[in-house]
Amino acid sequence: MPNAPWSSLQDPLPPAQTEGRTEARPARALDDESLRAIYYDLLGRPPFPAERERWMDVERHDLLDVLLGSVPFWTHWWEEQLYYFLLIDNFRPANDDARAVPGKLAEKRLSVRDALRRIAMTPTFDLRNPGADTFVTVVMEQFVGMRVQKSARELEIGKGAYDGRAGRFLGQPAASQSDVVRIAVEHKNATRYFLSREYERYVRRHPKTNQPFVRGLLVDLLGRLPTHDEVEPMRNALDGLSDSRPLRSVLVRLLLDSGDVPVPEKSSIADLFRRLLGREPADAELGAFVQTFHDPACRSTTVLYALLSNPEYHNS
Amino acid sequence: MNVHPFDRRGFLKSAAATAGAGLVPGLSLASPFGPLRVGRKTERVVMVAFAGGVRTRETFGTPGNVPNLEVMAKEGVLFTRMRTSNLGHFGATMSMFTGIPEARGIRENEREVDPTLFEYLRKDLKLASSDVWITTTGGAQQTNYSHGLHPEYGPRYGATTMDGDGIFNREFKSVIERYGLPKKMTDQEKALLERMRGELGGGQKGEQGKESGDDNLARVEEYILQELTSSTTGMTGANACDAKALRLARNLLSIFRPRVTGVVLQNADIAHGSFNGYVEVIRRNDAAIGELWNAVKSDPDLAETTAFFVMPEFGRNADLNARRGLDHGDGSDDLNYVSCVAWGPDFKRGAVVKDDQRVIDVTPTICDLFGATPKFAKGSKLRRLFA
Repeated sequence: MPNAPWSSLQDPLPPAQTEGRTEARPARALDDESLRAIYYDLLGRPPFPAERERWMDVERHDLLDVLLGSVPFWTHWWEEQLYYFLLIDNFRPANDDARAVPGKLAEKRLSVRDALRRIAMTPTFDLRNPGADTFVTVVMEQFVGMRVQKSARELEIGKGAYDGRAGRFLGQPAASQSDVVRIAVEHKNATRYFLSREYERYVRRHPKTNQPFVRGLLVDLLGRLPTHDEVEPMRNALDGLSDSRPLRSVLVRLLLDSGDVPVPEKSSIADLFRRLLGREPADAELGAFVQTFHDPACRSTTVLYALLSNPEYHNS
Repeated sequence: MNVHPFDRRGFLKSAAATAGAGLVPGLSLASPFGPLRVGRKTERVVMVAFAGGVRTRETFGTPGNVPNLEVMAKEGVLFTRMRTSNLGHFGATMSMFTGIPEARGIRENEREVDPTLFEYLRKDLKLASSDVWITTTGGAQQTNYSHGLHPEYGPRYGATTMDGDGIFNREFKSVIERYGLPKKMTDQEKALLERMRGELGGGQKGEQGKESGDDNLARVEEYILQELTSSTTGMTGANACDAKALRLARNLLSIFRPRVTGVVLQNADIAHGSFNGYVEVIRRNDAAIGELWNAVKSDPDLAETTAFFVMPEFGRNADLNARRGLDHGDGSDDLNYVSCVAWGPDFKRGAVVKDDQRVIDVTPTICDLFGATPKFAKGSKLRRLFA
C-alpha cells in the first residue's frame, strides 16, 4: 500500500499522473457519488475542487491506493479514535508524541495497537478518567468491550494493579497502571472489539455524524477545512442536540450570509447538485431550481440553502 | 457582523400566540393545556437528575448545603431511601428515564432498545416534540437520554435534547460572532425556498416534513439563535455546566411550557479529586434549582400545575480516597441509597417516606401522573406520594 508524502489534511493532492494511462473509461470509474463517499469515509471530508477534477472518471482503486495509508487517512483515523475515547477539548492530547502518531502510522513505524496504547497512556486520558475505578472501567469497556458489572472481580484486580498491588488481570500478571493498559490492549478480545468498532464506523454509520458534517460544510462552501478552533466548538454544539438539524441549519445560514461563500452562477445548478449531493438533478428538480434562481427575489444563497438543508446532504 | 433582527420579547410573544392556537394541527405547541389525567392537577413535570454521584450525607445530611431542596421537601415529599446501583453515571441516569436498571459503559455513546419516559408520554398522550425537553450538561453521550431504539417507540417519540454547555459556550459564540448571525429571511424568500425544497427528492418533502415536525425545527432554530445572544453563554463557576442546563430549563419553561422538562446535571463528579469542590457544586446547584423552582412558583400559569422530582442517579463511597476525593464503587449504602424530593399539586406536603423505594420508580410514577403506560419499565409507582 503506497504512502503519499503529505504532511497534513490541508495539503493538496499530488498532481495528476496521466502518462501511460489508457484513455478508455475504467470499469469502476469514480463519479461524484463514489468520490464523495470515499473521501468522507477515508478522510472525513468531501474532495476539494482540484481533487474532484483530478479523480473524476479515474479507476476507483487508483484513488484508494493513494488515500489508504496516507498521512491524511491516519490523521482522520486518529481524530476518530480520540473522539471515541472522548479525548476532546481540554482532554485532547496535545504533546509532540501524540501529534506525531499519524505520521508514524503512515510510515509504518507504529502499529494500530501501539497507537491505541499510546492513547491510554496520554496524561489527558488519565485526567479524563480519574481514579482507579473510572480508569480501569473505561479501559476494560472501551478497549476490550467488556461490561464491568459482569466482570466485577477483574475490575477489582485491575483497580488493585492501578494502585500498585500485584494480581492477575485478564489472565496476565499486573502490578501497575501501565500493565493494566498493556494487558487490555493486547487482549485477544481487544482486537475483535476494535474491528467491530471499525466495521460500525465504515460500514454501518449513517447518517453523517457532526464532525464530517462541519468539515464537509466548510470544504463545500469555503473551499477549505475548518481549523481546530472552528471545528471543535461547532461539533460540540451540534453534539449537544439529540436532533442537530436546527443547529446545522443555523450553521449553514450563518456561513451563507457571511459574505465569504462564492456566489454560484445561474447556469451552474446541475453542477451544484453533482458537487453537493453527488448526483444529477432530476428534470423536475432542475426545472424548479432554474426557475426559482431566475426569480429576481431569489438570492443565490437561498439556492445553496435549499440544497444544504436537504436531508440528502446530511445523510450522504 | 450581520445583526439578526431577533428579540426575546418578540419570540415570547410569538410563542404565546402559537400556544394560544394550541388546537391548530401541525403547530408545534399543538397540545392544549390542562391536566392530562382526570382527577389530577399536574399539567407539567420537571425532573432533575442531580447526577454526577451525590450522597445524602452532603445534601439532606448536612443542614445548610441544600436550603432550597429542604424547603421543597417541607412543601412536598422527601424519600430518604431510594435504592439505586452503580451502573456508571450514564447507565444509572438512563435507568431513571427508562425505569429499567441497566449497566451501560461509562463512555458508551450508543442507544439501546429500552424506551424512555419521554417516548411513553409522547406516544400515549400524542405530545409534540416541543412538549418534551431534556437539558443536559455532559456532552454528546447525554443526548442518548432522548429516546431508545424500540421499534414501537424510538426517535419519532424522543425528547428534544439540548446540552447547555455544548452549545452555549464562549468558543461557539466566538465562532458565531466571527461569521455573524444569519439574516432573517423574508416571506418571499421563504416561499421560494419552499418551492425548491418541494421538488427535491421527488417532491416527497412535504410528507417527510410533517412527520419530522419541520415547524418545530424552525422554532428550535429560532430559540437557539435567541439563546446564543443571552447571558447563558457567559455563565461561569464550579457548576457552570449544570447551571446552564438549569437555566435552559427555566427559559424553556417560560417559552415552550413543555409538559415534561428533564434536566441532567453532572458537575458533582468533580468529587473524584476534590471533596470541597463537590460540596461547592452541590451548594451552587441547589441555588440554581431554587431559581428554577422560584421561577415556576412566580408564574401564575405554572405555579399550581407543575410538579418537581429531584434526585441523584447514585451516591458515592463511604470513605475518602487517597486524593481526599470521593469515588463511587464501594457498594456501601452511601452509594446505593439516595434521597428524592417530590413536590407538586397532587402530592402530599411535608411528608417524609423512609421505606425503601427505587429511583427506577420515578418514570412509572410520572407516567401514572399523566395517564401513560410505561410498557417495558421494571419500576413501579412511588408509594405514599399522592395526597
